[in-house]
Amino acid sequence: MTGNVTGGWNFVVAAYAVTAAVFVLYGVSLITRLRDARSRAAEER
Amino acid sequence: MIAALRKELLLQWRTRAQFMAVFVFGASALLLFSFAVGPNAEILRQFSAGFMWLGLLLSSTLTLAESFHAEMENRALEGLLLLPVNPRTIYYGKAIANWLQLVLLGFALVPVMVILYDAGTTKLPQLALVIMLGTAGLSAPGTLYAAMTSQVRSRQTLLPLLLFPLIVPALLASVKLTSLIILGDPMGQLSAWMKLLTAFDAIYWSLCGLLFDRVVEE
Amino acid sequence: MSTTKSLFVRRYVPGLVLLAIGAYFGFVVALAEFNNINLGFGLATGLQAAIAAIAAVAGTISFLIVDDVETSAKGPNILLVAGIICFLIGSYIGLFVAPPEQHMGEVQRIMYVHVPTAWNALLAMTVAFASAVVFLFKSDWKWDAVMEGSIEVGVVFAFLLCAQGSIWAKPTWNVWWDWDPRLTTTAVLLFAFLGILALRRFVEDPVKRGIWSSVATIIAYVDVPIVYFSVKWWNSLHQTQSSPGTVSKQFYLPLRANAIGILFLMTAFIMLRARISALRLKQELAPPPLVEAQLGEVV
Repeated sequence: MTGNVTGGWNFVVAAYAVTAAVFVLYGVSLITRLRDARSRAAEER
Repeated sequence: MIAALRKELLLQWRTRAQFMAVFVFGASALLLFSFAVGPNAEILRQFSAGFMWLGLLLSSTLTLAESFHAEMENRALEGLLLLPVNPRTIYYGKAIANWLQLVLLGFALVPVMVILYDAGTTKLPQLALVIMLGTAGLSAPGTLYAAMTSQVRSRQTLLPLLLFPLIVPALLASVKLTSLIILGDPMGQLSAWMKLLTAFDAIYWSLCGLLFDRVVEE
Repeated sequence: MSTTKSLFVRRYVPGLVLLAIGAYFGFVVALAEFNNINLGFGLATGLQAAIAAIAAVAGTISFLIVDDVETSAKGPNILLVAGIICFLIGSYIGLFVAPPEQHMGEVQRIMYVHVPTAWNALLAMTVAFASAVVFLFKSDWKWDAVMEGSIEVGVVFAFLLCAQGSIWAKPTWNVWWDWDPRLTTTAVLLFAFLGILALRRFVEDPVKRGIWSSVATIIAYVDVPIVYFSVKWWNSLHQTQSSPGTVSKQFYLPLRANAIGILFLMTAFIMLRARISALRLKQELAPPPLVEAQLGEVV
């Protein structure tokens, strides 16, 4: 290690925020796409 | 298999104007790299190996795409497969033919590299070996992906898109080895990288051959 | 009705049992140790950790294996909620309860999300590889759907990994990218699997699409260790700094909680994405409606 790293809360918050954002956005996109695909399949019938 | 290889080589000989065009493309790529970096002789010499292999890699997409062009034009692939020939033989015939073309291209680009980047070396046999091993690493997966993408729209973008991430180890090894040959090898890393490159070639020449008949089955 | 219920139980019980074993060795034993109660059957801590990890992964993946991608999304939705809860717990502990590390200070907390994401990204790629192999052998469309799902999830996780790695690298080494072998391999993997997704998008025949992308997935996955070693050697002369290291023993609780949470999320994502793929496949493989109208019930 190159020594003590002071501060850095901003980066921690950024990392957690990015992680949460990716999970939420991807999850929501999946649920939306699934709903669309289901309704389209129901229409075709 | 010799017959398959002969057919490929005959085809390539007939279209040898193609080779000239690809060589000019590769050489101009090397020229463009030096413009991008600037006329600093030291820097150019240090990165000469990288430039040469990048130029070779970019040119290889043209060569590889061409190798299935004839089959696509004349729907000859289906005809080929109807013959009582193992598809694997067709694969190895094409892969070897592509490899030979790339080796030739590599050899042709060496003088360009020597002149533009002042990157000469006396260890020519080692350099030749590295070029042969490195291009083999490009040719095996490249031929497989060329077979796939030749039947698809957007084939020109798909082939490099699929190939480039895959051949990273071969590229790293080839550039490193070439660099060690040109600039010197104080720590004796040559054999380790040779082993890596050879292992890569062995794995992919067998794996791609194994998977090829699934790729072309109807 | 009782037979379907027993079928339901039979399918999910093995997974739940495995998860229980994982939870026991992963959390219960550790928490008991804080109160000096020994529940570990005399096994070494390393072995306990290994059992916990294998049991948790096997249990969750078993849900994926028994999942029928044609049914409703109740299963994945349950997993999704469980994953969110575990991830929130783990992140809370990691952010506010765990003490700052000796050398790296607060930045160490990034490891509590980065390391679990890394494990799960690799797991997603492995699921893709396994699905590809199974699909080539069995030609069961479920596995083509699962493969497409796990490739896309793997791409999302790999991208996330690169973002987290960059955010970690800046305060630590003052550069946005430090060519760490693990992270660089992830970047190469990201591009490789993006290429496979592009391949799937451009091939219209479902059979060709399935076979070609399976072949490409196998080739790309086999490359992963080779890329890792080549980048490691390539970098070894310049890498004077150590890479994001493993977490020391006192900090494993938030790590494990997040690992389970993200594992649940990953599996739920794959199951949902596989359902989307299965619906599209059904449309493509079904006879065209005009033919049905003309020929009626004969088709």
